Amino acid sequence: MRIGSIALALVGICLLFAGSGPAQDGSPGLSFFDVPQALAFHEFPLYDAGDRVDGLPLVAVLRRDDTADFVSFVYGDCTAGDDEGCAPPAEVQVWPACRRNLRLYDSPLSGTPAPEPTKVRGVPAAFFEDGERLELQTGISTVVVFAANRTRVLRIAAALRPLGASPSDRPLPRPDPGALAGTLRC
Amino acid sequence: MRRLGRGVLSIAASVLLTAAPAAAHFDATSKYTYRGCPGTEENRVDPINVVFTVWGTWGRAVSQIESHAGWTDTSGSAQSFVDHGSCYAMHAQQASGAGTRFHIRVRGQHPDATLGWTATGDAHHEDLVLFPTPCGHAVDSNGAQGSGFDQGRDELEARFTAAGHPAHRVWWGNTESFKQCDGDYAASDGWTVFIELHQVNH
Repeated sequence: MRIGSIALALVGICLLFAGSGPAQDGSPGLSFFDVPQALAFHEFPLYDAGDRVDGLPLVAVLRRDDTADFVSFVYGDCTAGDDEGCAPPAEVQVWPACRRNLRLYDSPLSGTPAPEPTKVRGVPAAFFEDGERLELQTGISTVVVFAANRTRVLRIAAALRPLGASPSDRPLPRPDPGALAGTLRC
Repeated sequence: MRRLGRGVLSIAASVLLTAAPAAAHFDATSKYTYRGCPGTEENRVDPINVVFTVWGTWGRAVSQIESHAGWTDTSGSAQSFVDHGSCYAMHAQQASGAGTRFHIRVRGQHPDATLGWTATGDAHHEDLVLFPTPCGHAVDSNGAQGSGFDQGRDELEARFTAAGHPAHRVWWGNTESFKQCDGDYAASDGWTVFIELHQVNH
């Protein structure tokens, strides 16, 4: 009887303190996609770097649709601990340009990041964070590449292709004028 | 002896005159916290999503977080911040409890001509994950209100603005995804809130 009470108390404590586990598909917010789901996605054009890039395998495809709106291709793994998440070696996020574009950095507010403008794969782009982040405007999409350094970021950018397409080093589609002006509507 | 003294004084004056002035501006080049130093992309842990300004020293930030948000617990892992190209240990951390909770780490910078004293933080909401595999604290990845990072920022913003502190948001775009110990991923939505602090502590 006493053991039963203790077990019940433990379950209660667990229920009180435990949080949620991994997100479930279909729940609002972030969820795990798979490649077929991404291929069937038509809200905005997606780009990835293939099944493997710069020696890193594609390990997760994520969809976030809440206060942020992107499909993410995560390359390589890392080990997270208690109270300490970890940064995967590389990530390609694709946002609709109506939600994210380079015009967002044209703000008079103090503390706004200063882009380092460039051109990559024939389209306007900008580096941030000492080259560890690159944002490219193509069509009605904004492609964001995260990696450890500028060299790797550029290697990943060189491998970008429309999702499901063959590898190509051709220029990416030119950005929609509204994407450059920051006037696209979602 | 007097000549030696004058010489030392002269050298000291020259050093003061020729030394580069301290970069007295708010530096947001790094937009993440780090597991340790040096701060590299590989050991990033959390996105920075809160900047305290005006009287935003780290001590005032701690005092006013405790007062307005009630985050008085100080448990958690130590992390590092990078500004002006150097990596430093955090100054403090505050949480709403020890289990599933809100949590922030804070580090102060020197004053900025426009923003005043500043301190940065990585506010988030994290679950204490006990099953299926106990792993400790993991930042929430999902929810209609955004990720755990967005929820932590929103909570502080709501508590401080309700107490009369002006706040506004600046687009930082630091949306890199972070794997959590439960296998899930969490990312900021890229918006950082700037909250004005007052001089008087509580």
